[in-house]
Amino acid sequence: MAPSLLFNPAKLPPSEALQLAQQAPVVLQGSSSPSETVDQWATFENLLLACLRTGDDEAAAKCMDQLEARFGPDNERVMALRGLLSEAQAENNGELEAVLKQYDAILEGNSTNLVGHDRLRQLFPDRRFANPPCLRLQPITKRRIALLRSMGRVSDAATALVQLLDFSPTDAEAWSELSDLYFTQGLYSQAIYALEEVLLLSPNAWNIHARLGEVQYMAATTSGSGGGSQQKYLAEALKRFARSIELCDDYLRGYYGLKLVTTRLLKEQAKQAKQTDDGEFTLPDPKTIERLDELATAKLSEIVRHSTLKDRGWRGYDEREVAAARELLSQNGIER
Amino acid sequence: MTWISNTITVFGGLLLAHACYSAQEHAALQSFRAAATSTLTSSTPVASSLPVDIAIETIVATLVIVLGLVLGTRPLRPIQWRVWAGKIEREGEEGFLGNNGEVEKDYMGNPFTYLESRPSFVDIRRQRKEFAEWIKNGGGDAGKK
Amino acid sequence: MAQVPVQTIHRDPQLFYWILFPITIVMILTGVLRHYASVLMQSAPKKLDQKAIREQRSLLHGINLRGNFHALSKKSFATRRDALVTAFESGAYLKDPERAGQGQPNPLSDPSSMEGMMGMMKNQMAMIIPNTLIMSWINAFFSGYVIMKLPFPLTIKFKSMLQAGVMTKDMDPRWMSSISWYFLCIFGLQSVFNFLLGSDNAASQMAQQMGGMGAAPQMFGPGVDPDKQFKAEAENLAVIEHYSVLDDVEERLLEGITA
Repeated sequence: MAPSLLFNPAKLPPSEALQLAQQAPVVLQGSSSPSETVDQWATFENLLLACLRTGDDEAAAKCMDQLEARFGPDNERVMALRGLLSEAQAENNGELEAVLKQYDAILEGNSTNLVGHDRLRQLFPDRRFANPPCLRLQPITKRRIALLRSMGRVSDAATALVQLLDFSPTDAEAWSELSDLYFTQGLYSQAIYALEEVLLLSPNAWNIHARLGEVQYMAATTSGSGGGSQQKYLAEALKRFARSIELCDDYLRGYYGLKLVTTRLLKEQAKQAKQTDDGEFTLPDPKTIERLDELATAKLSEIVRHSTLKDRGWRGYDEREVAAARELLSQNGIER
Repeated sequence: MTWISNTITVFGGLLLAHACYSAQEHAALQSFRAAATSTLTSSTPVASSLPVDIAIETIVATLVIVLGLVLGTRPLRPIQWRVWAGKIEREGEEGFLGNNGEVEKDYMGNPFTYLESRPSFVDIRRQRKEFAEWIKNGGGDAGKK
Repeated sequence: MAQVPVQTIHRDPQLFYWILFPITIVMILTGVLRHYASVLMQSAPKKLDQKAIREQRSLLHGINLRGNFHALSKKSFATRRDALVTAFESGAYLKDPERAGQGQPNPLSDPSSMEGMMGMMKNQMAMIIPNTLIMSWINAFFSGYVIMKLPFPLTIKFKSMLQAGVMTKDMDPRWMSSISWYFLCIFGLQSVFNFLLGSDNAASQMAQQMGGMGAAPQMFGPGVDPDKQFKAEAENLAVIEHYSVLDDVEERLLEGITA
C-alpha cells in the first residue's frame, strides 16, 4: 500500500520514502487550487522532508518556497524547515557551523520561539494540529539540538535539551529525545528516567512501555552480574513488556522482549539473590515466569506463522521485526 | 456483501412505497364512498380505519429497510484500547479500510510513533547518507517494483 | 369571543424584492466583512516570556505526575514527588519568586492582561459598530410599514418586537416590519455563516457571547496567584497513595490471555 503524504515520513523505510518523493511533481503541479486545507500544507511539509531525504533538493526547494509564500519567512516552523534545508545541503563542517550560528542568532532574538504553532492552529483549527499537544512547539530550539547531535557534539546537545526541558517539562518528544541521547551514551539510568517522564505524559503509549522495557533489559545486560541491580532491572523490564502487551493485543515487540527476559531469567534462576523490598518491583515466582515464557513463545510463533503466510489481518507487522522474532525462536530451538 | 444489503434495502423501499400507495388508494376510495353515500342517505359516514394488512406491510417494510441498512454498515471499530491498539499493530492500514477500499481519513496509525521517530529532531544528514547507501546497494530497483 | 377573521393585507410584491432581499444580502455581506476584519485585526498571539512558560509547564508537570503516577514504580515516583514538592513549596518555578505570597496582583495594573482586554474591546466594537449602522439604515429607509407575513402563528407578546415602528393595535403579530426582519436575520444567519466561512468564524461570535460568558474558569489567566496554585499542587502530590499498574501485571496478562 502506498504510504500517505499526510504523515511524517521520518520513520518510513527508504523504499517508501522514495515513493513519496516521486510524487513531488504531481503535488507541486496541482498546488494552485484556491481553497487551502490543512492537509495541503501538511502534504507540502512531508513532501519536503521526503525529498530532502532522497536527495531531491530541487523539489524540496520548491516546497519550501510554497510554504514560505504562505506562512511568511518569519514563521517559526518555516524557519526551522529552512534551517533543515540548509543543514541537508551543507557540505562540510564549516557550513554546518554557519547554520548553527544562524539558529543561535534566531534564538537570541526571541528566546522562547513558541508561538509559531499556535498561530498555525489559529489559521487552521483542525484536529491534527491541535493533537498531539506538544508537536513541534519549539521548532528552532529543537533543530539546534538535533544539529548539535548530528555534528557529534553530544554533551552540548544534552545540555541544551535539559535546558529546554527545564522550562518545558511537558514536552514528551523532547524527553524521548533526551532518553535516546543518554541511551546512546550508555547512561541507562538517565535514559530510564527520561522515558519514565514520557510515560507520565502519555501513560498509554504501548511502544514507550516496550521501549522502556528494552532499555531496562539493556541496562541489566551491561550492569555486570552483580545480582541486585541486575535483577531489579530485569524485574521491571518484565513488567514493562507485560504492560505493553496488556495495552496492545498481539504486540510483537512486547512479546519479543518478554521472551528475551523470561529466557534469561529461567537460565539464571539458580543464582537469584535475595530480594529486598525497597519500593522496587520484585520478580514474580519462577512458575509464573515459566508460564509467561510459554505464553510468549506460543504467541510469537503464532505471529510469525501468520505473517509468513501473509494471512489476512496479519499483514501490519514490520518484516524486519518478524524476521528477528523468527530468529529468536529458532535460537531457542522451537519451530512449529 | 454489499449487494445483499443493497437488495434488501431496495426491496424494503419498494414494500414501503407499496404500503403508502395502498393507504392513499384506500383513503381515496373511502372518501369517494362517503361522498356517494352522503348524497343518498345524508347520514354522517363512519370513518373507517386503515386495513390491518396495510399497517402490517408498513411495519415490515420499515424493519426490512433497517435490516438492509444495518447489514450494509462497515464493521464496528473496536472500542477497547488494547483491541484497537492490537488491530493497528497486527493489521496496519488494512484493518481500517472504508467501504470504498481506501484507508479511512482519520486513520493515524499508532498515535505514539512520533515519540520514537521524533520528527522535530530529525537528523536529516544521516538520513540522506543512509538513503544514498541504500540506493548504492541496489535498493532503488527494489523500490521500483 | 368571536372568531377573528383572517386578516389579509394586499402588499406590493415589489416590497419583497426591494426590502427583504437587500436587507438579507446586506446582513450576509456585513457578516462576511466582519469575519475578515476581525481576522485582520487579530493581534498576533502574545509571546509568553520564558519564565511564564516555565511556570505554567511546571505546574502542568506536577498535575501530570499526580494524574499518571501509576505508570511509575514506587521508588521513581517518590523521588519525583519529593523533588517537585520541595520545588513547588520553595517557589523555584515562580516567574518572580520575590512576589510569592503577596496575594494576587490587580489585573488592571498588569500590562499583559490589559492586552487581552483590548482584544475583547476590539471584538465588541467590531460587533457593535456595523450593527448600529445597519439598524439606523433600516430605520431611516424602511420603517413604518409591514413587509411580510410569517407562516406560523405567534402570541401577542411578539407584537412589540415584530411590528416595531408600525402603530396598529389590532394587527395580527404574524405581520412583520422590516426592523423585525433585521432582527430575525441577526439570529438566523448563523448557519449561513457557518456554511460560508467555516464553523469557527468571527461573524457567529455574537451568539457565543450571548450564550455563555466565561464558561471555563481560567487556569493561567490574570488574577490567579501561581504561588497558591503551586502550594495546592504540592499538597495534592504529598497525599497521593502510590500504586502502580505494573503490580501484578503478569498475573493479569496470564489470566486475560488464557481465559
